[in-house]
Amino acid sequence: MSVEHEIREEGGAKVVAFEGDIDLDGSPEARKVLLECIGGDKPVLVDLSKVGYIDSSGVASLVESFQKARKKGCAFALVSASEAVMRVLQLARLDKVFPIYDSVEEALAGIE
Amino acid sequence: MPVNEPDPAPPERPESISDHFELLAVMGQDFAATLDIEDTLKRALERITGHMKAAGGALFLLDEAGLTLTCQACSGETEITGLTLNSDQGIVGRCVQGNAGEIVRDVENDPNFDKSVDQTTGFTTRSILCAPMSVKDQRIGAIELVNKLGGDGLFMDSDLQLLQALSSSAGLAILNARMAEALVEQERVRRELELAAEIQRSLLPERRADDFPVYGVNVPARMVSGDFYDFFELGDGRICFNLADVSGKGMNAALLMAKTASLFRCLGKEIHDPGRLMARINEEICETASRGMFVTMVGGIYDPSSGVVRLANAGHEPPLFHDPEAGFTALPANAPPLGIPPLLAGEVGFEVEELRLNGGTLYIFTDGVTEGYLADGSELTSEGLMELMRQNKELPISRRVDAVIALIDHAGAALRDDITLLAIDDKGPMKIRMENGGAAREAEKESAASKSPGGDADRLLRLEFKSRPDRLKLVRAMVGETARACGSGENDVRDIIIAVDEACQNVIRHAYGNDPGGDIILEVVRYPGGIEFLLKDFAETVDPTKIKPRDLDDIRPGGLGVHFMREVMDEVEFLPLPREDKEAKDKEFVGGNLLRMLKRL
Repeated sequence: MSVEHEIREEGGAKVVAFEGDIDLDGSPEARKVLLECIGGDKPVLVDLSKVGYIDSSGVASLVESFQKARKKGCAFALVSASEAVMRVLQLARLDKVFPIYDSVEEALAGIE
Repeated sequence: MPVNEPDPAPPERPESISDHFELLAVMGQDFAATLDIEDTLKRALERITGHMKAAGGALFLLDEAGLTLTCQACSGETEITGLTLNSDQGIVGRCVQGNAGEIVRDVENDPNFDKSVDQTTGFTTRSILCAPMSVKDQRIGAIELVNKLGGDGLFMDSDLQLLQALSSSAGLAILNARMAEALVEQERVRRELELAAEIQRSLLPERRADDFPVYGVNVPARMVSGDFYDFFELGDGRICFNLADVSGKGMNAALLMAKTASLFRCLGKEIHDPGRLMARINEEICETASRGMFVTMVGGIYDPSSGVVRLANAGHEPPLFHDPEAGFTALPANAPPLGIPPLLAGEVGFEVEELRLNGGTLYIFTDGVTEGYLADGSELTSEGLMELMRQNKELPISRRVDAVIALIDHAGAALRDDITLLAIDDKGPMKIRMENGGAAREAEKESAASKSPGGDADRLLRLEFKSRPDRLKLVRAMVGETARACGSGENDVRDIIIAVDEACQNVIRHAYGNDPGGDIILEVVRYPGGIEFLLKDFAETVDPTKIKPRDLDDIRPGGLGVHFMREVMDEVEFLPLPREDKEAKDKEFVGGNLLRMLKRL
């Protein structure tokens, strides 16, 4: 599996930290983890600081999760996206659609 | 007659109008000689007040809406310049409303008399003489005189007659001055429009040598145009071109045109993918475009060395491709006009159409051409345009275009709309291509690989792997190192990795349907001008017309990858697998696909 994950609670939010590549190999797992996290009343923050690569299938998982979060009225944001991740989001024109923050603290302040 | 000479002494006997010809003449000359109406009015009022021996005088003008009267000039003992009354207020209001002059000898008891003015100025008004200024039915204002000097301090009927004559002459002068002012303003606007038109013309490309394959004409219907076209050469010999039509006419359309033209010129030098270029221009226009204005545009790149045109059409009239043998093909728009803001995630993709001109001509035009009136009053229509192009196909491109313009832009008739026509003629470049190697052209049809950029090919990498997702990390690492070895910068390396990774996963998911047992071959070839990536698979042949970058607002896996590839690479082609690759696999093999991508260095 090309991606690992860790879920922790921080400042009242659920932080899902991925490590590795969210590519064709890793995106089914990432999708499953994210969709399971969304549904409670806690905001979900996706920590991408240790993600070196994301492809279109990974982006699709993020979009699906974001859409589910919106339906459930749950805040959803991306945190610490690397340049490589930002480039793919930008190619998909999603860099202005997702709330994206530099750190978990900023995200917690921003989604208030 | 000297203008500023003191007024002659008034006669002692009862006055008649004819005794005042001199004053009328002086005033008339004053009004005729000046455009500074305020100053002239003040002087005229001083002359009238002095001549008629009044203690004070005031000249009121009615505002454009006819709602208020404002004191424009004063003379003598009262100074109320700037005082504004309702247009029916006071004796002056009554006089203007009734369009009749009057003498008020018992001011105190007049119901319309406004005491507040006296209270403010400290002046005691005893009698008032007031005459309206009007020309025909047009009310302009009134002149009011107060307190006759000497005698019983009261005005006489003959005073009223005289003031009426003087004030109607002043009214005419004011009207004339206003008209003159409007004319001056019109002239100023006309000169500014001329300047704007000149700047607009300077935005159009210069005329090139007769054998240059691109030629365009723009004729504005009014002074400034909402249409434009442009073309310029990129460093590698390709020609970037566009033609656009801004909604509406007049100055606002002309300004948006100037903005869009500048954006195209500036961004077109950096972004060589027409779809991406349109998307960028659209973002900029949407950010600031005024409400309800949009731009239809065809933009693209023509490569004279191959005859290939790649273009995107944002809501514009379909360009016509004329193949001298096969006839005309229309290329309808595949995206909405620029300036219409996208609803959610980014803009709709601007799909790029690829066209091989093969010695033919591409005509791009605004509807001012096809809807232009011929000398007999009928419209040219696109059939008419095609017929004309068929008849004139042997003429040089500039004469073919000029002939169309001459038909619509004929002497003595105003244009219905701006007319703009741009043509790309591949006849000359095709001849050069044939001379430079007709044989190579034949070979090109056989093998897609020979479409690669010229120069020595250097195969850097050949990788064979199974169609398994867990192989992609390795593929990315090797592609990244290979791109670095070619001297690509880190941003390009990152983009190349994205495109190749997406290409591989497309093969795994769509060609092989997630069967992990398929074979994939990736080759990376370096040319002096770029890096070529060839991705071969042995699945069933996929119909390339079904592979399309889909709309970005419909985020589902699949087409997004193709969109990434097209964004990042300079060329992306889906081709059948070449014969030698099939034979290398199996003598009897049928099917297979080749994806060719090129990144220019």
